[in-house]
Amino acid sequence: MPTSTTASAEIFENLKLELRRGCLTLAVLTQLRNEQYGYTLRKALAEDGLEIDEGTLYPLLRRLESQGLLVSQWREEDKRNKRFYRLSPQGEQTLNQLLSEWQRINTSLSKILQEA
Amino acid sequence: MSTPKNPMELLDRYLQAVRFWLPKSQRQEDLIAELGEDLRSQIDAKETELGHPLDATEVSAILKRCGSPMIVAARLGPKQHLIGPALFPIYLFVLKMVLLWILLPVFIFIIGPVNVAKAGSDWGTAVLNTFGDLWSGLFVAAGTITLVFAIIERTHAQVAIADKWDPLKLPPVRKQERKTSLAQTVCEIFFGVIGLMWLLLLPHHPGLILGPAHTFLKAAPIWHTFYVPILLLAIVGLLRSGVTLARPQWVWFPRVAPLLQTVLSLIMLNFMIRTAAPPTGADWHPFVVLADAAKNSAQYVRVAAVLNSSILLSLAAAWLGVCIAAAIQTWQFLGFIRHRISGAGQPASLHVQ
Repeated sequence: MPTSTTASAEIFENLKLELRRGCLTLAVLTQLRNEQYGYTLRKALAEDGLEIDEGTLYPLLRRLESQGLLVSQWREEDKRNKRFYRLSPQGEQTLNQLLSEWQRINTSLSKILQEA
Repeated sequence: MSTPKNPMELLDRYLQAVRFWLPKSQRQEDLIAELGEDLRSQIDAKETELGHPLDATEVSAILKRCGSPMIVAARLGPKQHLIGPALFPIYLFVLKMVLLWILLPVFIFIIGPVNVAKAGSDWGTAVLNTFGDLWSGLFVAAGTITLVFAIIERTHAQVAIADKWDPLKLPPVRKQERKTSLAQTVCEIFFGVIGLMWLLLLPHHPGLILGPAHTFLKAAPIWHTFYVPILLLAIVGLLRSGVTLARPQWVWFPRVAPLLQTVLSLIMLNFMIRTAAPPTGADWHPFVVLADAAKNSAQYVRVAAVLNSSILLSLAAAWLGVCIAAAIQTWQFLGFIRHRISGAGQPASLHVQ
């Protein structure tokens, strides 16, 4: 039935968004080990298969900065003002913890999937 | 709108439109500058790819992909809501209760019929005026409730509400919500139908209420005004019993509906007592008047006076009784709500099913 298909697609989209949310934060923090500005960061993520639109990335960057995980600076490059982001010392520490957690979850999930 | 000669002006127009929807602050300028830089970088990249400066259509395609200014601003800006998810179920519940279960029935069953009865032949205007008043009332009530909840949301009072609970004080697990007994509901319907028939017969058979006295007494004009509201109240009572019988799974209904009916009765009694006015002299005959044949009898005049005073006293006593019933039913209803909130542990349980 079309209604059931639509509902199922909507459920999948919502679950996919939930799954992506945490992964995006991890990906952004990892990419910002090297200083980047918004556009190059989006491009780098897209090249690695993680597309992210402007409306998602910039609020995420603001949030991570307000949490003290990122630092930013407006600077001129190629005669244009750009805002560059990079990990703060606290961000480095948090990223390492998150990556350990990610490895642990990944190992558990692989085990669960093998058993299933 | 004209298409700009310089395609980059489209970008400025776009940023101006996004700025319009963002809250005014330093952060707004920051966000606009950053978004502008991102879009300019996208345009640069496209120009490098194509090997020529972009025209208006190509710039427009990039902006179109970014999204409508209003949606982009909503994503970029701070998340705002008038009433947050924690309060929303309670807000919806209160709104439904006040608009659908109090205001609407009061207008349909009391104010409307009274206005129509008072207007006499000009009943069409009375109906229109009642609808006008109803709309105003609904808007004012909805606006006031929304304002109150928005203030609670802004003052973070909901945090205090949400924190005021103790797992140790939760009620024991209920096996099943108590439902109204079938026999009681059937009896209510049976006597409700008899009462309704009696009411319908009254205008043509005054002896059903006055007994033998109908030969020298007749109903006063006040009953022309209140007959229809009384009839409608009786119908409401019947409908209430019918719904209780047909929808036993609506456990909230037997708590809400009697309270509503009591409130409606109270409003009507108030109207009646105020319309009857206090006894002022020999001409005071609000409920029963002497039939033309008995107007010259001093004895019947005294009987009519005693009867009018007795009816007024009875109405006052009924008003008092209904007030007490309303207080008890309100208390029971609040207990039911408290029970539901603490039982479910979250405000979502307040949803009217």
